[in-house]
Amino acid sequence: MADIVAAFGVPHTPNFPALVAKQGSDCKTARLYAEVARHLREASPDVLVIYTDDHFNTFFFDNFPTFAVGIADQICGPNDQTTMPSYRVAGEAALASHVRAKAIAGGFDLSLMQEFELDHSIMVPLHFLTPDMQIPIVPLFINGLAPPLPSARRCLALGRAVGDAIADWPANKRVAVVGSGSFSLEIGGPKIPLGERAGTPDPQWARHVQDHLEHGRVDDLVEESTPARLAQAGNIGGELLNWIAMLGVVGDRKPNFIAPEIEHGHAYAAWRLD
Amino acid sequence: MSIYAVNKLCREALRDVTFRAALKRDPQAAIASLPLTDDERAALLRGDVAWLYARGAHPFLLAYLTRWELFGLTVRLYSERIRAAREPVHTE
Repeated sequence: MADIVAAFGVPHTPNFPALVAKQGSDCKTARLYAEVARHLREASPDVLVIYTDDHFNTFFFDNFPTFAVGIADQICGPNDQTTMPSYRVAGEAALASHVRAKAIAGGFDLSLMQEFELDHSIMVPLHFLTPDMQIPIVPLFINGLAPPLPSARRCLALGRAVGDAIADWPANKRVAVVGSGSFSLEIGGPKIPLGERAGTPDPQWARHVQDHLEHGRVDDLVEESTPARLAQAGNIGGELLNWIAMLGVVGDRKPNFIAPEIEHGHAYAAWRLD
Repeated sequence: MSIYAVNKLCREALRDVTFRAALKRDPQAAIASLPLTDDERAALLRGDVAWLYARGAHPFLLAYLTRWELFGLTVRLYSERIRAAREPVHTE
């Protein structure tokens, strides 16, 4: 049976690869990703299960799942003109199929996609965490951007169901789970600052979320993360749902590492579960 | 429902360089064949992102228009207008 050895939370801000290329490996963003990457190397996973939203690149409103899983042997990205290298990464199709079957049996009707590319929401984390693209992935999508969003409780339950499926996977593999996204971010909506395309309208919420994560208060976090509260944190605030799903394998454990970038409305975290 | 066509236009502006150039050159002609309502068409041509937002156009997609200042939307002008927007029905 597979072992869940670690969980990680990171942002996927699309200009970070270019920013770090310009500012170098000593800049704050590079150091924070590097700390998560260090924990990832030490946990030595064979597979990464990654929760993300998509930004209308892999999916569009013609066909827009609330929850979906990607089953493919090879996956390319980014497909949204993010300024960063283009990558090809292996998909762990056997685990993805297993998760889909188990999730559906457990009441989570995951949509299926088999021919797709990924946007910056997965490729930016991989760029910093596994730049050699040597670890196969299972991409899991949660609609965090286009209301109505799934509830935080539902996302936590999905994360637990996926965790049960991973633990039940008959392969002698080490699996890590990643949640990617912001806690407070507004892009192109009424909460942006004058003269900007994006902003962090609710740094207090980002700090509050980080505090809950730091102290393992997953139930409080889920209770407070209502659709209205997420919307108040910005029109991208629903990306917290990716983290909450990831917490499905963490429970109330405290992270081995957590650090905020409050000015950006997000954080970096690592949980060692082995 | 037809706000779908506005969202799609924004995404095609990102993906389709030829369409983007046409939008830049002659916006009225570039959107003439799209399945937009008259009100949507007029709102796009006057760069009224607040009106489009209030009717459900997704701001993440609308903001693409500023990358190439389509429909006259500089970042400054876009931000001025969107900051005055009413929330769309689904979050009111």
